[in-house]
Amino acid sequence: EDEVHVRQKVAEVDPLEEADFDQELKAVVQESMEQRRQELRGRPTLNMMIPMNVFEGSAKDHHAKGIGGESGDEALDEETGVNKEVQVKVLVKRGNKQQTKQMYIPSDSSLVQSTKQKEAAELQE
Amino acid sequence: EDTGDDDNYEFGKGDFTEHACRYCGVSNPACVVRCNVPSCRKWFCNSRGNTSGSHIVNHLVRAKHKEVCLHKDSPLGETILECYNCGCRNVFLLGFISAKTESVVVLLCREPCLSVNALKDMNWDLSQWCPLIDDRCFLQWLVKIPSEQEQLRARQISAQQINKVEELWKTNPDASFEDLEKPGVDDEPQSVALKYEDAYQYQNVFAPLIKLEADYDKMMKESQSKDNLTIRWDIGLNKKRVAYFVFPKEDNELRLVPGDELRLRYSGDAAHPSWQSVGHVIKLTAQEEVALELRASQGVPVDVNHGFSVDFVWKSTSFDRMQGAMKTFAVDETSVSGYIYHHLLGHEVEVQMVRNALPRRFGAPGLPELNASQVFAVKSVLQRPISLIQGPPGTGKTVTSAALVYHMAKQGQGQVLVCAPSNVAVDQLAEKISATGLKVVRLCAKSREAVSSPVEHLTLHYQVRHLDTSDKSELHKLQQLKDEQGELSSSDEKKYKALKRATEREISQSADVICCTCVGAGDPRLANFRFRQVLIDESTQATEPECLIPLVLGAKQVVLVGDHCQLGPVIMCKKAARAGLAQSLFERLVLLGVKPIRLQVQYRMHPCLSEFPSNSFYEGTLQNGVTVNERQSTGIDFPWPVPNRPMFFYVQMGQEEISASGTSYLNRTEAANVEKIVTTFLKSGVVPSQIGVITPYEGQRAYIVNYMSRNGALRQQLYKEIEVASVDSFQGREKDYIILSCVRSNEHQGIGFLNDPRRLNVALTRARYGIVILGNPKVLSKQPLWNGLLTHYKEHECLVEGPLNNLKQSMVQFQKPKKIYN
Ligand SMILES: [Zn+2]
Ligand SMILES: [Zn+2]
Ligand SMILES: [Zn+2]
Repeated sequence: EDEVHVRQKVAEVDPLEEADFDQELKAVVQESMEQRRQELRGRPTLNMMIPMNVFEGSAKDHHAKGIGGESGDEALDEETGVNKEVQVKVLVKRGNKQQTKQMYIPSDSSLVQSTKQKEAAELQE
Repeated sequence: EDTGDDDNYEFGKGDFTEHACRYCGVSNPACVVRCNVPSCRKWFCNSRGNTSGSHIVNHLVRAKHKEVCLHKDSPLGETILECYNCGCRNVFLLGFISAKTESVVVLLCREPCLSVNALKDMNWDLSQWCPLIDDRCFLQWLVKIPSEQEQLRARQISAQQINKVEELWKTNPDASFEDLEKPGVDDEPQSVALKYEDAYQYQNVFAPLIKLEADYDKMMKESQSKDNLTIRWDIGLNKKRVAYFVFPKEDNELRLVPGDELRLRYSGDAAHPSWQSVGHVIKLTAQEEVALELRASQGVPVDVNHGFSVDFVWKSTSFDRMQGAMKTFAVDETSVSGYIYHHLLGHEVEVQMVRNALPRRFGAPGLPELNASQVFAVKSVLQRPISLIQGPPGTGKTVTSAALVYHMAKQGQGQVLVCAPSNVAVDQLAEKISATGLKVVRLCAKSREAVSSPVEHLTLHYQVRHLDTSDKSELHKLQQLKDEQGELSSSDEKKYKALKRATEREISQSADVICCTCVGAGDPRLANFRFRQVLIDESTQATEPECLIPLVLGAKQVVLVGDHCQLGPVIMCKKAARAGLAQSLFERLVLLGVKPIRLQVQYRMHPCLSEFPSNSFYEGTLQNGVTVNERQSTGIDFPWPVPNRPMFFYVQMGQEEISASGTSYLNRTEAANVEKIVTTFLKSGVVPSQIGVITPYEGQRAYIVNYMSRNGALRQQLYKEIEVASVDSFQGREKDYIILSCVRSNEHQGIGFLNDPRRLNVALTRARYGIVILGNPKVLSKQPLWNGLLTHYKEHECLVEGPLNNLKQSMVQFQKPKKIYN
């Protein structure tokens, strides 16, 4: 209802500022990596327990439930009818407990692309 | 001591929510994360604004903080982001991987977990690890980017400002952006601008100016203690104790107004203990006597009359409300519509029309027919979200405003809020609007409830007392008890307050229109009201922050009425005035290119009197709605030099003097001649209430009052009834006859107050039937506008000198006006 059209100068980012910031960001990442390497001399243990029900239930979930309701778990782009987003389960730990939360990820993100390719490949087998 | 509800009110209700981005203020839970470093714990959003990285990434990089937590209302809930395998919380190392066959993803750190071989054997696909921070932003599906609208309403912050504030946080973690720009004590404050980046910058400019004005006001009022006052005791109709006394007014600027709070003290004597009580001024009599209604009714030393002292009790309420409104304007997106928000800040907004069916007739029941320019104004305003109506003197802006409010209220958009900076203007407007048949509630400040008002029947407190329904009998009973006993038991008091509040709400909610002063719109009793349509009359006499108070209650359609060619708001603090606080919002919008709709027909002045103001201040557009015949003073025998031209400039050569206080001026010759003119008017049949004497100097005002009462040729009482006042206090009003005493008469100094063209405009446009100006043409003619005025009078043979009963045209030479450089 409250639609406004503000004619504002397009926010232009100063390329110098951008280069500076990029450099600083890279430095923080680099520094973090080195710090980690020094902290963890030994081999990290594997602690990737995943509750089995996440996998078990997911195939059904994948098609039946969805936050969006009737339209299922994949939001369709209104214009093209192509899937814009796909639903994933994000697995997080709360202390020692695992929890999953459903979220939508844009279907063109690399994370989704790879899963799709794999799924397709496996279906063909 | 009962301090009233006002003091319990929290100002600036639109405070930042805790989780608002500390850079820009965006507070959508899906868009913000909290820095999880214990000493920091600040929230930031995932928008870039004008910088290359998102705000949260900017903060983490610059503060070298590395852990974050999601908001509890975000899709993932309150979650500290960490590696699913090792628990590492460094966001610069984290990224998502997905399971090979399922739509399950987890966070994994790239060092060392990503290189653990055993993981590859499990169900996870490590080749597609995707970093949490990508393109200097958090992954957008995890932390949303605020919408464009949200970003436009947010503080526009630059990379330099981010650097500065991060630097400041290292020593002071609670510092705000306001601290960054705080001027030093001796610095000149930042001046007002035409356009503002955002509401935060707006607040940064105005908040210090309001603070300066508030400090000055406090200092001045609190230094006004008076001793040795003589009291006359009385009891009001509401059985409250009233003290009458004369508050000696010196040449300073302080003027008591009804509603002011004073503390009355008695230091005690052998028979009386020391005593004090605060009270509100409920009346100022024509004899300059103050009526103070006391809060305490017990222990008042009513048998004593001498030796009292009085102090001013300064209240910050109005200034607090201005500051609160600015804060709300910045942090509360619903405070005004997006269109109004951007427009007020001077952003270029595409023109919007209000889609509403227009009425067939633009007049309103109970009001006089509208003229063409008034109809045009009503019609145009109804179709626009922001409009300015310029009402030159006597052009019927109150009627036009009332007609407008009538049509707005009939559009079914909810209640209409109608404000003005002064109580007088609010009362006038409330009366006219009520005449159209609309239900009007006039909300008065609690401190003014005892002040009599011409629209008492419309006031909320009156309506509460006289609401005639059986279920209100309990409230009435308690009210009666309170009136009789002066107080109630604490449980009854509680019940009384709750009932009163509920009744107030009920009455206010059922009104079509709420009328109050601009400051009154910040009353806690309106805190939960929303008004889409707001009209502010006399808006050119309010400061911007004052105007903002009624607007931030949800305005979508704003009408500012006023006249920027008449006097603006009074700013006492010179520093604040120099920085531009005296410029009204109306004026700034004019400068921004909003064209005011001008009312063009004046119904006040004799056509001779409107000619010069029309040409000098309104480009000659002012038309006369009254004829010479309608303004002929039949039966009044006054020696006008030109018959049928009821005006003259009376040449005065007497010297100006500095008044006793040393801060003002007076001119004895002019005062003596004012008395002669007044006497001539009175003798010719004019009554005192028809005459107004205007002078720009308090020194001269006091001198004239004194002189007339001592030397007036007629009964003393007649002179006492004549209003002698400053130009400023005559704004918005009219008299049949005006006598203007200019005072200044010196060869070398300037003409001070008279220099302001807007003040001259006001002075010249108060009279309906006739005007007499007393001044020294030699001095005044140096100023171009006055030179024009003198020339105008001379050309019409109205520049005269000599005794009143034998006026002759003056041959005095004018000086060349100084050029104006603009
Ligand atoms: Zn931090
Ligand atoms: Zn932000
Ligand atoms: Zn890890």
